[in-house]
Amino acid sequence: MFSRTIRKSILDTRIPTSALPPPFLLPNRARFFNTTAQHVEPPTDGFKASEVATPKSPAASSRPAATSSIPSPPPPPPTPASFSPSVKEQLPLLAAQPSHYISAHIHGRPYLVTQGDIIRLPFRMPGVVPGDILRLNRASSLGSRDYTLKGAPYLDERIFECRARVMGTEAEPMRIKEKKKQRNRRTKTVRSKHKFTILRISELKVNNLEDIEG
Amino acid sequence: MTVQAIRKATVGQNGVGAFILQCKRLDFHYCDWAGSSKGMNSFLRHSLSKFAAANPQIEITVSPRPRKHPVIVGHYINGREKAICVRNLQKEQILQKAELLRDASGEKLKRVTKPVKSINESVRGVWSPYHGGGIHV
Repeated sequence: MFSRTIRKSILDTRIPTSALPPPFLLPNRARFFNTTAQHVEPPTDGFKASEVATPKSPAASSRPAATSSIPSPPPPPPTPASFSPSVKEQLPLLAAQPSHYISAHIHGRPYLVTQGDIIRLPFRMPGVVPGDILRLNRASSLGSRDYTLKGAPYLDERIFECRARVMGTEAEPMRIKEKKKQRNRRTKTVRSKHKFTILRISELKVNNLEDIEG
Repeated sequence: MTVQAIRKATVGQNGVGAFILQCKRLDFHYCDWAGSSKGMNSFLRHSLSKFAAANPQIEITVSPRPRKHPVIVGHYINGREKAICVRNLQKEQILQKAELLRDASGEKLKRVTKPVKSINESVRGVWSPYHGGGIHV
């Protein structure tokens, strides 16, 4: 029970306050009144339920809400205790170059993005409201102009920090398909209209090796 | 001597620093008499206060529209508006429509095939055949 609190407090301290807007701009309260169910792991102990029930100040409740909205991720790949010497040598060079790209994976699909890019996911993500921040922790490559770090198949998630902001939900124009069989007058019209969640990469940062290992 | 404008170093992108919801106002129109407004009237009585409290960024107005079907109109920052007719819908369905208007960006619906949209320059630059080591055949 207390391990979860400790983990949550570590997560909280990691988020820089400069990256977050003032709490009145965060639409975090919207999640308490939403038709779509939250995709949060079921409360195994009384801790989480009591946390939702007790009203807190918006500044205090905003950050745990953003982190706890992430569905429980698959168990991370076994990470090696230390990095190889070539990574140790060249990662500072990669981090020193001005702009970076990352191919982040969401539900197994890669999205090659830089900071500020808009991703239109091919599905509607349940249980998120506009303004939420998701941390993308699965990536297969990370690079700058002259250096690329490739994962096998995925990168160690301590190396980078990539956060995406949920911008909203968009739809496509209605698709109409006519189903007609030969020698038959009957025509069936099939209509479909899908919804998509829009994300924007709000932060992409390469971490220092000293901070990771020290 | 020509006057030179100051170049913008960066372009503001919503969501990178602060985030501003695109929907700025929701208008709820109802009719006291008509049966198609039944669900809308119960939505206004029971659910609207919670919806408004959950979304403090949105201005909410409620006004009667006699002898007409109930309508929700969303106004967006880009100047567009979206209207949804909610005649004969239940309270819960109307809440879903209100959330649809809240989550929308206000843009016209478009078919998009590319998943990533970027205004940044290419990180690795454009490939050139005259630079780099080259391959000896």
